[in-house]
Amino acid sequence: MLFHTWPFLVFMLVVLPVFFALRRTQWWIPWLMAASYFFYGWWNPYYLALVFYSTVLDFFLVALMDHCPPGPGKVDIASRLWRWRFDDWVLKTAFLLSLGLAAAIVAAALCGPPTLRPALAAMSALVFLMTLGSLLSNRRIWLLISLVNNLALLLFFKYARFVVQNANALLASFHWHARLPDPSTLMPLGFTYVLPVGISFFTFQSLSYTIDFYFGRVQRERHFLRFATFVCFFPQLMAGPIERARHLLPQFRQFPAIRVQNFTEGVSLFLVGLFKKLALANYLAFYVDRVYENPKNFDAPALLLATFAFAWQIFFDFSGYTDMARGVARILGFNLILNFNNPYLATGLGDFWSRWHISLSTWFRDYVYIPLGGNRRGALATYRNLFITFLLSGIWHGANWTFVIWGGLHALGVMATRELERSAFYRDQVPRLAKQFGVFAFVCFAWIFFRAESLSDARLVVSRIFTAAWSDPQIPALMLALVAAVWLYQFVYESRFRELLQTSVVRVGAATLMVIYLFLCSSGGGAFIYFQF
Amino acid sequence: MSAPPDPTVAKPIVAHTPMVNEMRLNARQCLAALGLVLLVILLTPSVWKAVERFDTGPDYRIPYDLSKDYWLYQRWIDRADSRSIILLGDSVVWGEYVLPDGTWAHFLNDQGGRPDRFVNGGVNGLFPLALEGLVDHYGKALRHRKILLHCNLLWLSSPKADLQTDKEERFNHALLVPQFFPRIPCYKAGANERLSAVIDRQVTFCGWVNHLQAAYFGQKSILAWTLADDGGDPPRYPNSYKNPLAHITFRVPSAPALDPLRGPASPRHKPWTQNGGPTSFEWVSLDSSLQWAAFRRVVATLRSRGDDVFVILGPFNEHMIASDSRGPYLKLRDGVLAWLDESKIPHSAPESLPSALYADASHPLTDGYALLARMTLTNQSFQAWLKAN
Repeated sequence: MLFHTWPFLVFMLVVLPVFFALRRTQWWIPWLMAASYFFYGWWNPYYLALVFYSTVLDFFLVALMDHCPPGPGKVDIASRLWRWRFDDWVLKTAFLLSLGLAAAIVAAALCGPPTLRPALAAMSALVFLMTLGSLLSNRRIWLLISLVNNLALLLFFKYARFVVQNANALLASFHWHARLPDPSTLMPLGFTYVLPVGISFFTFQSLSYTIDFYFGRVQRERHFLRFATFVCFFPQLMAGPIERARHLLPQFRQFPAIRVQNFTEGVSLFLVGLFKKLALANYLAFYVDRVYENPKNFDAPALLLATFAFAWQIFFDFSGYTDMARGVARILGFNLILNFNNPYLATGLGDFWSRWHISLSTWFRDYVYIPLGGNRRGALATYRNLFITFLLSGIWHGANWTFVIWGGLHALGVMATRELERSAFYRDQVPRLAKQFGVFAFVCFAWIFFRAESLSDARLVVSRIFTAAWSDPQIPALMLALVAAVWLYQFVYESRFRELLQTSVVRVGAATLMVIYLFLCSSGGGAFIYFQF
Repeated sequence: MSAPPDPTVAKPIVAHTPMVNEMRLNARQCLAALGLVLLVILLTPSVWKAVERFDTGPDYRIPYDLSKDYWLYQRWIDRADSRSIILLGDSVVWGEYVLPDGTWAHFLNDQGGRPDRFVNGGVNGLFPLALEGLVDHYGKALRHRKILLHCNLLWLSSPKADLQTDKEERFNHALLVPQFFPRIPCYKAGANERLSAVIDRQVTFCGWVNHLQAAYFGQKSILAWTLADDGGDPPRYPNSYKNPLAHITFRVPSAPALDPLRGPASPRHKPWTQNGGPTSFEWVSLDSSLQWAAFRRVVATLRSRGDDVFVILGPFNEHMIASDSRGPYLKLRDGVLAWLDESKIPHSAPESLPSALYADASHPLTDGYALLARMTLTNQSFQAWLKAN
């Protein structure tokens, strides 16, 4: 279900009154969870099994982790393996259950239909790890299981085909006849192999809970439905923002205060998001698609402007979604974290990444960059960590070399400019506008690789920008005017004239114009770009 | 992913609603914006009617390009003289192959000696299920009037024409058909499209927006219009630098004076026999027909509004019906007539026109319309109906 469609309005008209009506009971959490599952299942009910599986596993893994001695103490593996001893009845039960389950799965794999074998083999490996975790009574193993499970899901559904195709190409280049099977052949019971919407978001969100619990940053959630609601909370389930347990889970502990302000702020956020998506992103997409679907037919100005348009399209599309998500959550009384902060006003690449897709940036910072050592182990290690983090961030966006290159480019950009951006010269001498232009130009250059259908297309776009003739780009003037207006608004917002935008006349006038404009110019649906991630 | 100073533990995230623009409206501002929006939505269509020139004149019919501009259709019916008779129906009434002065309504006026007595209320491609939507939602002015309703059996000539097939079909006027009930098997629109259609019908402002797009922007949204190509190879984009607002001339476009696709001079205006021979039709039964059920509902709606309805059945091009499907056709025709008799609805069923006067299975050519008008005007039931009240 998409936020900018009528079924969502009907959905909200049902969910909201019932949610408020249940405020004095314990049923508001189950209701929220049921609504979230319905919201997600509207797209494809089969995917619900995946969300539920991920939720159940992480909930129980953390529960089992909680029964293990705290701290990363060393385990005497040999003695534990030779002398089965359980200090905790929960772990003992888990051991017996997982042992039984592993045996049952192996039996099912041997006797069951062949299409189930790959899935069962993977499950038996996971359950076996659980048996080991119970036996060794070690938190690290439970964390490992959570990591393996979530990342395996992501790897299988999102990257397996890419990996297999590249591996087969590599094998072929060595004239080896072996070929890896297509991942679709591993799907059980004839299910179709498709990327579940939002898998990168809910797996990361669920994962953050187990990692945070492991490091003692968050308390164990004992209420399953509350945890399940945290994982599948419908406003942010499909495309974020990727919430952290310590921010969102406590909000589910009691019914939120009902205030008019929630509603007005939520509606304001939603309106801005809707405008960004329908009036701006969808409009820009027409021009971007026209040029990028056939780059060889366009000259330098059209390619440049299409790249520029894509930069804004993806910003309006994604930030529009998160604005709507935050607006819906706010109407319900919850706060989701800020995900975009006028990124094209950034004065450095580091600054850009503190403004763009903030929930993902901070996720990678907290769970990849810092665990790798962050900037604490010298310059070389810092640069290595930055490179790894950005590369992974690029891969997170999709299984294509274009995303890898995009991540790599940002890594190189950040590494190259890190010291410069810290220098007094850059800080004080370079005009702000020049810095903003420089960052925007680099980001746009990287977007070419993000948007292009293939690496060869990306190379073609880059080369034609510099070599092709100059001709009329035929970009609608209205499109340029709209983007210029938004950019100007953002500049004013971050300037000393910001107060102008705070006047009632501007606020009411802008809101009215946006609604009328939506009526007049809306050209219908289109899913959000980030759903594919 | 900026390199952070040194935090090993992420900072707790503040629990309020940070915003990165000033579009944070308070309750009073929300109400003010809502009031303004409502004002614009409620007033614009009425103001527009007063400002925009809508030249109709004799033999006016909704231009082909504005067939889906239901707001304009409503306006057209609204302004029709209350004593005039509205001809309701599909392209047979509208005149698919003929010019405005070659239509059924034109000849009825011409031969009846009273110009403007008959108003061409036909819409191209308006099958009964869509006609029902048009009458229900855009035909509020069809009240206490005389209405000549055309019944075209073409829409019952196959399960596909009757929209009964399970395979998805794209058809004209999808926004007018019942969106949820009764179910149309071949209409597979998603929930959003269906709800949009329902809302479009209820909110006049949406109809006005549709009018704006149909009348001035080639049936595209303003944004799509700025991106439209000229169809050439390589394509050019003539509207890129044009100001869309300057394109609004406040004058409803009329049909082209010289329509190359219609009229005796057009290559399409020729007898059906030049395109092929008799055809076997897979007539559907009246009991199972969705279109026939819709037609009956239309009659009921009009009568419940105090309209005086006269139904004209056909005349279908019987020369085109292959002998194997003639029997089911006659049974169908008899069934319709029996129902009209039973329901005491004044009607006539003119005999088929000469073969050479048909352009296809149901559309007469210009001379065919002249003859049909003559047959209509000389029909006793019709004369009695005309004289009543």
